[in-house]
This record gives sequence, structure tokens and C-alpha cells, in this order.
Amino acid sequence: MNGILHTVLHVVNVIILVYFFLINAFYFLFTVLSLYGLFRHRDLTTYVSFKEIFRLPLVKPISIIAPAHNEEKTIIESVKSLLALEYPVFEVIVVNDGSTDLTLDRLIKSYQLEKSRRVFRKVVDHKPVKAIYTSASHPKLVVVDKVNGKKADALNAGLNISRYPLFCAVDGDSLLEKDALLKMVRPFLEDPEKTVAAGGIIRLINGCTVKNGQVREVRLPRNALARFQIIEYFRAFLGGRIGMSMLRSMLIVSGAFGLFRKDVALQCGGYRTGTIGEDMDLIVRMRRHLHNMKRPFEIRFIPDPICWTEAPETLKSLSRQRNRWHRGLLDTLLHNKVMLFNPRYGITGLFAMPFYFVFEMLGPFIELLGYIIFAACIGLGLVNYSFAVLFFLVAVVLGTLLSLLSILLEEYSSERYPRLQDILILTLFSLLENILYRQWLTLVRVIAFFDFYKGKEEWGAMQKKGFVQAR
Amino acid sequence: MSPSLIIAAHSLVFLFLFSVCLFGFIIIRRLVLEQRQVQFDRLYKQIEKDILEAISLLDPDFSLAVARRYKSHSRVLTQVLLDFGDIIVGEGRDQLRVIFNHAVKGLCLKHLASWRMTKRLQSVRLFIVFFDPAESAFLFRLLDDKPIIKLAVVNALARIPSPETLNHIFKAFEEDTGFTVQAYFNIMFGLGNRTEPLVKAFLNKPLPVDKLGLLVELVGAIPLRTLYEDVVALAGYPDKEIRIRVARTLGKLLIPETVDTLVALSSDEAWEVKAQAVKSLGRMKSLKTLDVLERSLFSPFWYVRYNAGYGLAEMGEEGLRRLKEVAAQEEDRYARDMSVMVLNDLIFPGEAA
Repeated sequence: MNGILHTVLHVVNVIILVYFFLINAFYFLFTVLSLYGLFRHRDLTTYVSFKEIFRLPLVKPISIIAPAHNEEKTIIESVKSLLALEYPVFEVIVVNDGSTDLTLDRLIKSYQLEKSRRVFRKVVDHKPVKAIYTSASHPKLVVVDKVNGKKADALNAGLNISRYPLFCAVDGDSLLEKDALLKMVRPFLEDPEKTVAAGGIIRLINGCTVKNGQVREVRLPRNALARFQIIEYFRAFLGGRIGMSMLRSMLIVSGAFGLFRKDVALQCGGYRTGTIGEDMDLIVRMRRHLHNMKRPFEIRFIPDPICWTEAPETLKSLSRQRNRWHRGLLDTLLHNKVMLFNPRYGITGLFAMPFYFVFEMLGPFIELLGYIIFAACIGLGLVNYSFAVLFFLVAVVLGTLLSLLSILLEEYSSERYPRLQDILILTLFSLLENILYRQWLTLVRVIAFFDFYKGKEEWGAMQKKGFVQAR
Repeated sequence: MSPSLIIAAHSLVFLFLFSVCLFGFIIIRRLVLEQRQVQFDRLYKQIEKDILEAISLLDPDFSLAVARRYKSHSRVLTQVLLDFGDIIVGEGRDQLRVIFNHAVKGLCLKHLASWRMTKRLQSVRLFIVFFDPAESAFLFRLLDDKPIIKLAVVNALARIPSPETLNHIFKAFEEDTGFTVQAYFNIMFGLGNRTEPLVKAFLNKPLPVDKLGLLVELVGAIPLRTLYEDVVALAGYPDKEIRIRVARTLGKLLIPETVDTLVALSSDEAWEVKAQAVKSLGRMKSLKTLDVLERSLFSPFWYVRYNAGYGLAEMGEEGLRRLKEVAAQEEDRYARDMSVMVLNDLIFPGEAA
């Protein structure tokens, strides 16, 4: 009996070690690819004037769709930032998704909104629209008031009401940098036939000061959780997505900031209202549809258009957010499981989907299993303490190294944190996040798995602090 | 020590040293860059002051002296020249050209053959700003380079729209594939009416759909009104993308003789062509198209109804009367709703049309 137990433990240990090696090898590969991609992108854009894009007569107009649910603290600044964007032709559609706070009232008051009798083409389904408002002072702005149906439903309403061939999905609590759309539209100009979606970079606004809808001063937040998340975002966007994009395997264009071809999104039936991971779901379904149609396509990640968003600063809000993200991931992967390991879907089926399945979906279980096995081994007196301590240190240093590489990527991409002490603090938090924070997130994602199977559909609202205004 | 322990220990030492080196690199890089930036800014301001003086004095000797003074600081000088070259025109630019010719040009020519793409690109960009037709031979050689360099060269050539350079641009357009094709539109658009004979010739060539479509769009964007017959000839093109563009271009050219073509396109089999043709008919403001627009308000396609509604709104009193009639009928609620919305927009001035 003891022998069998030993063998089982040994096999599980080997599996965990292989998993550990593979996941870190992939992350390292993505980081190296990202570094190459960033250099290439920087080389190509050094001598490109984005103002020239502004003058291009063929540049496609964009509908910006911003769903908002109980965003009274940030909505005015967000809309201000959207209306201030530098782009030849665009409209801003704010979809008030049944807010119970003063979101709509504030919009009506700030932008002198009036009810309009605008009709629209209902291509994709959504909850009933109560009213459409337009503004005499801001002709680009359209506000849609509708019955609450969650984010995907609100985006579908925006899609129906939008008039332009490209649409940009942004969160109602996000701020876009002025030139974000000009930078984001480049792949659609370079290859209008193949490019179907593009994602930009998301940065955290916590600690920064805002004036007239634009970030004026970039500072690190005081809150430790927000600092951990800054490093996570560096890793995810600069390390992960550029690398995945270079491998043509990007499955997520962030819901906070993504530009899409409307016709392709509509051909896929718009956003799937049953899901809470609507951003990933749309991209995966777009890929599925285009593979099925045998149409060549590109989904690109552009590292310089920036969208600022607020990160949760309490454990409760953060666990809700991550729980939701993980449930969204599970839902999308299972909904499209036909693509998994299916050569018909090219690199999406043979690499991207399996990667997300093994390392993102099952990853938390394998990590938790490692902790449980370790505890069991202690109980059975099977632990080689010297090896355990060394392995733990290797894991911590490797985690820190990957974070440091993402800080390097940040330095090469835009160097937004101007003070040297910011880099020192971020390095310190890169080290600290490997202790407790990482394990806690693993637990949150495992709980999310069970919540998903219990059928939990709660969105998990986050408490907003609002933007810090510059004097 | 067991082998696994040795491997773990070695991994730890390696990763730790790697991390420390990386951290050191990040910090040192930041410090060096900050220091370099301070020096760059100081020198930039100094050169900027002298260049402003050169531009106001318009004395070639002074400009020559500036060139000699900063010849050894080519990186900063290049940047200043690039920044000023885009905004200074006339005699001021001649002074900049003197500085460029004496301080940077030699290096720039060398960089045109550099293995580093950024250097080639920067040099081409400088040539774009300080282009001398006599030197076009240097640039022609780069027309076989990577697409981005080729494009920059074509941009440079577009500054001197001689028949020879125009031929080179159109030849490059014909040969190029991929993402740069779209960029040619911008270049040709900047050349304006001078492109007319070549556009005419190319419209009659067997080109791929994307290129032909761009040329059709170009006719409307510039606009090249004399080429309307060549555009009308493409109204029966088998690919709907071309027919859409024909309809759009005719709406920009506003030639009364093309109304019949647009009316024919408004009954095209593809709804996208119909929608575009109806939109262009609205722009033509020809009263004889009122019936077509009114009929299009009852189309099963939303975009056709939408364009027809706004087209009627452009037609003045008679258009408004027809819109009111459709708004009052009950048989087709889709046509009615569209008319109501358009009428509502006309009353509410803030609505974006």
C-alpha cells in the first residue's frame, strides 16, 4: 500500500514538475517574442506620423460603444475622454444598461441630452431599449437607455445602433489616450481585408491624476493590491498578448478596449449574451467562423494605443473580478470545445485553445494540487526539505524574473512610470507577489471553477473610487 | 547531494544571477537614458536656437557655419532637421537644406545602404524633406527594398511630380502587393490632378480588385471629373466591391449625366450597391430621382431605407413632402419609422446626420 502511495506521489510530482517547466518555458518564449515584436513595432512607427492617418480620406469611421452599469463616479470623465479622441469620423454610443444609480441623470445633465426618435436595425438580439438620447452640444454622442441585460447585451444594443463599419468596445469606466484610435486603426488600413480585430494595451489608472478626461500624471498607487495588478497587467499585455499575437494565437482582445470589424462581428451573431467573458468569447467565435469560412484573417495586438482603467483595491472586489474572468474563460472554452486539438482550426485549434485549456483553465488545479501534495508529503514524512525549499525559491525567483522581463518590456514600450523609485517599487512587488498573493489568486480561480459548475452568473460589481482629478 | 538537488541549486543560482543582472540592466539603462536625454535636450535647444537664427538671417554663410559646428552631433542635428523640415517652407527650408547638405547628407547617403532598416528609413525620410530631383537616382535604387522603405521612397518621389517620378509611383503601385497598396492612395491623392492621365490608363488595365477599387475611389476623392466615363464603364463590373465604389465615386463627382447609371445601380442585386447608389442619388439632388428614392424607402434593407430617407431630406421641399407622406402611411411601418426619424433629425439640429 505504502509502495503504491509512493508511486502515485512520485508520478504526480513529475506531472507537476513538467507542468511547471512547460508553463514557464511558454511564458519565457512569449516574453522573448514580445521583446522582438516591440522592437519591430518601434522601428516601424518611429518615422510614421499618426497625423498622416488623420488626413487619409480612406480611413474608416468608428463607432465607439461604451456599456455603462452604475458608473456614476466615472462616466462623465470617461465620456469626456472618448469625445476628445483624435480621429476623423467617429460616434460615441454610451449604453446605460439599466443603471440603478445616477449614471443616466449625470449624462443627461452634463451633455444636455434630449430624447431622439432614432430607429435602428435590430440585427442581433438584446433587451428592450427604453430611449435613445442625442446631444445638441455634442453631436457625436448617442446615449442608449435600456433594460439591464449585462455587458454583452448592452454591447449588442450598441452594435445595432452604431452606424460605422468599425466599432470599438470600451468599458464605461475607462479612459482612452487621445491618439489611441489613430494608433489602433493602423492594421485596418494596412490590411483592410484580413484584419478583423485589434486590441490595445490596458493600464491601471489607480494612483494617476486625471484632467479633462486625460491622464496627466502617472504615479504608482499606494494600495498593494493595485501594485500587484500593475505587474500582472504588464505581464499579461506586454509579455503575453504581444507574444500570442506574434504566434497568431491571440484569443482575447480586452473588453475594455478593442477595435473590431462590425460585419464580421455581426456574422458571428454579435456578443453571446449568455456569457460573462464576452470579450474572449467574441474573438474565439470570430476565429471559429472565419476558419469555417476558410477566410484568411488577422487579429492583432498593438502595443502603443493605451486605455486606462481602474483596478479593484479590495480583496473582495478583486476576487469577484477574477472569479468572473475565470468563469468567462471556462464558459468560452467549453462553448467552443469543438475547436480544441482540431486541425481544421489551424493554430487556434492546435495551439491557442489547448494552451488556454491546459495552462489557464486547468492551471489553478494543478497548482493547488501541488500545494496539497506538498502538505500530504509533510504529513507522511516524505518531504525532502532541502529540495522543497530550493524548489520554492526557484519558483519565486523565476516568477520575479518573468515580472522583471515584463518591466523591461514596459521600459522599451512606453516608459510611463517616470520615477526610478517606481521601478524599484515594482521590482519589490514582483518579488512579493509570489508569496501569498499568487496562491490566493489560485484559490480564487479554483472556487470560480466550482461556481461555474453551480451555474453562478453573478457579474460581481466592483466598488469604484473614481478618478483622481488634477488641480 | 542528490542529482535533483544539484539541478535545483544550479537553477536557483542561475535564475538569481539572471534576475540580478536584468534588474541592474533596467536601472542602469534608465539612468543612462535619462542622462543621455538631458544631453540631447541641451544640445537640441542649442541647435534649435542656431537654426532659428539661420532661418531668420537667410544667410547661407551663417547656415554653413551652423552645419560645420554641429557636424559631429549628427544624431541631434538630424532630429532637429526632421522636426523643422516638416514645418518650415520657402527660403527658410533652403537654409535647412544648406545645413543638411553639408552636415548630414553624406552620412544619410551611407545610411541608405545600411543593413539596419530604421537607418534606411530615417535617411529616406530626410530625403523626403530635403529632396533634390537631381538625386532621385539614389532613391530609385531603393524601390526594390522592403515595402516600408519602398513606400517612403515613393513618398519622397511624390514631392517632385515630374512625369518620370509619376511613372515610377504608378509602376510601384502596379507591382506592390499587401498592406502598402492602401498607402498609395494617400500618395496619389496628394498628387491631385497630375495623376489624371495615369489613372485613366490604369482604370482600363486588368488590375486586381483592391487596386482597381482604390483607383475608382481616387477619382472621387481628388476629384477627377473628366474620368467619369471611365468610372461609368465599370458599373457592370462582376465584383460588387467595384460597383459599390463606382456608386460612391459618382456621388462625389456629381455629374448629371451619371444619374441613369446610379438609378440602374439602385436596382443592383447586391444591397450594398443599392444602398450606396441611393446615397449618391441623394447627393445629386436631381428631382427626377425622387421616385427612386421614395421607392427605396420601402426597401427590405435597412441601409437602403436609411440612405433613401436622408437622400430625400436633401431634396428640399419636395423631398420633405414625400417623407411626410411616407411617415403618415401605415402599410409599411419600417418605411414609416425611417421617415419619422429623418424628419425628427431635421427638426432637432443637434443630431449628427
